[in-house]
Amino acid sequence: MRILVVEDERKTASFIRKALQAEGFAVDTCGNGDDALALAQSTPFDVIVLDIMLPGRDGLSVVRQLRKGKNATPVLLLSARGEVNERVEGLDAGADDYLPKPFELAELIARVRALTRRGGENKSTMLRVGDLLLDTLTRQAQRGGQAITLTTREYRLLEFLMRSGGRLCGRMMILEKVWDYDFDPGTNLVDVYVRRLREKIDAGLGPKLLHTVRGSGYVMKEMP
Amino acid sequence: MTIRARVTWCNAALLLCSLVLIAVLSLAELHERHERRPRAAERGMEEIIEITFWIGVPAVLLSIGGGWWLMRKALAPVTALSRAAERINEFNLSQPLPRTGNGDELDRLAEVLNGMTARLDGSFARVREFTLHASHELKTPLTILRGETETELRDESLSPAQRERAASRLDELRRLSRIVDGLTLLTKADAGLVPLELAPVRLDDLARDSFADAQILAETLGLRVECGELPAVTVAGNAHRLRQLLLNILDNAIKYNQPQGWVRLALRRAGETAELTVANSGPGIAPDILPRVFDRFFRGDPAHSSAVEGCGLGLSIAQWIVTAHGGSIEIASAPGKSTTVTVRLPFLMTTA
Repeated sequence: MRILVVEDERKTASFIRKALQAEGFAVDTCGNGDDALALAQSTPFDVIVLDIMLPGRDGLSVVRQLRKGKNATPVLLLSARGEVNERVEGLDAGADDYLPKPFELAELIARVRALTRRGGENKSTMLRVGDLLLDTLTRQAQRGGQAITLTTREYRLLEFLMRSGGRLCGRMMILEKVWDYDFDPGTNLVDVYVRRLREKIDAGLGPKLLHTVRGSGYVMKEMP
Repeated sequence: MTIRARVTWCNAALLLCSLVLIAVLSLAELHERHERRPRAAERGMEEIIEITFWIGVPAVLLSIGGGWWLMRKALAPVTALSRAAERINEFNLSQPLPRTGNGDELDRLAEVLNGMTARLDGSFARVREFTLHASHELKTPLTILRGETETELRDESLSPAQRERAASRLDELRRLSRIVDGLTLLTKADAGLVPLELAPVRLDDLARDSFADAQILAETLGLRVECGELPAVTVAGNAHRLRQLLLNILDNAIKYNQPQGWVRLALRRAGETAELTVANSGPGIAPDILPRVFDRFFRGDPAHSSAVEGCGLGLSIAQWIVTAHGGSIEIASAPGKSTTVTVRLPFLMTTA
C-alpha cells in the first residue's frame, strides 16, 4: 500500500510519515500543491493525505484537478483553517474524508485505513463477527443463539463497529458516525458506551470480540 | 429636569420678572405723579394693574406653552440620536447614526459620533482578527506537539513512568486543542462567519438522545438523571449545534454536581416558545457571579473549578448557539441547593 502525504509543515509531515510507515504503508511526502498534483497524476497511490493550505496550488484545487482528470484515488483532507463549512466544501470538491487539525494520530491512521478498503465496507443486512450476529433489518442482536437487548445508541455503535470489518475505529470517527457530533465534546462518552456494549456482548458469552486499542480507539474482530 | 423643561421655565421666569419690573417702575412713576395730580394717577394705577393682569399673565402662559413646543421641536433630533445610539453594541458598530443632513450642530454631532463608532468598529474588528489569527497560529504547533507525543507513546521501549508523563502531556494537549477549537468557533461567530443552516428539528428527539447520553455519563459518577415527558416540539434549528448545546448544558450539570446528586431535564411548550430546562443538585452559584457565568473563560470559584476539567467556553458556546437560533438562555441558582439553566427557543410549529 502506497500513500502520498502532502504537507508543507516539515515536522507534521514527518510524524505522519513515521506513523503510517509503522503501520506498514509505503509513504511518499511532498510539500506543495503543484508537485503533489504532478506526482498523483503520474504515480498510482492507494490514498492521498492532503493538507488544504499549501504553498502554490491549495489542497482543494488539487482534488478538483484530480477528479477532473478522472483520477479516483481516495483523498483525506487535513486542515487547520477550521472553516465551518470546510468539510462540506472539501467533500464537494471530491475528497473522501476530512480531518481538522489538530488531530489524533490514531484517528488519522484509522481514516487512512478505512480509505484503503473503501468499497469493501460490509453492506449486507446480516452482520457477523465470530458468533455475534446483528440483523440490521429487525435491529436484533444475538450471540451464540442468545438474544441481546440494545438501546438505540448501543445498536448504532455496534452496527458501526461491525460494519467496519475489523478495522480500527477512532473516537472522533465514532462520534461523527454514531452521534453525529462534529466537535470534540471533551467527555468520555464513547469509552463509557463501549464499556456498556462490551458488558452486553462480550461478558461471559465467549471469546472477546470488542477490543480497545490503547490510545487509539476500538476494533471489533475475532482474535485468532 | 430635561433641557426642554429647564429652558421653558427659565424663559417664563424671565418674562415674569420683566413684567413685575415694568409694573413696579410704572407704579413708582405714578406714585410721584399722585402727589401732583392725585385723581388722574389713581385711574392710571388701575389701568396699569388691569393691563398687567389681562395681558401679562396670558403672555407668560403663552410663552410657557410656545417655549415648550419650540424646545421639543428643536431637541427632537437629539432624542432620535440618543435612541439610535442606545441600540449600538459591539456587533452593529458599522451601522451609522441617522443624519438630518441640514448641516446644523446636531447633524455635526451625529457625524462626530459616527466617526467615533467607526473607529471603535475598527478596533473591535482588529481584536477579533487578532484572536482568529492567534487561534489559527496555535493549531500548527499544537498539531505537531500532539502528533509527536502520540508517536512517543507508541514507542514500546518507554518505561511506565515515561509513559505516564507522556500520557498526561497528551491529555493537556487535547484540552488545549478543545480550547483553541472553542475560541476559533466563538471568534468566527462574533465576526458573523458561522452561517447556521436552519431546518425543522424535533427538539424532543434531540433531548431524548442527549438524555440517554447524560444518563450514561452520570452513571459512572453515581448521579441520577431524570427526564419528564417530552412533548413533540419542532423548532427551526441546526441539529448539529442543538446537540452540542444539549450536551454542553447536561455535561456541565453533571460535572458541577454533588455526590449522589441529580440532574433533571424537562421540555415544555410555553406560549410561542419551547422551554428546555436542565436543573441539578449542584453546589449552586453565588448571586454576585451568576451574571458572569456565560463570559468566556469565566470560572466562578477557583478552588472548586480546578477539580473539574473543562475548556471554560462551554456555556459561552451554548449562549451563542441559543442566540443564533433567536432564543434566550438564562441561569438561576439557589446556592447549596440547585442550579437551573433555562433555554427558550421559538417554535416552528407543533405536532400533536
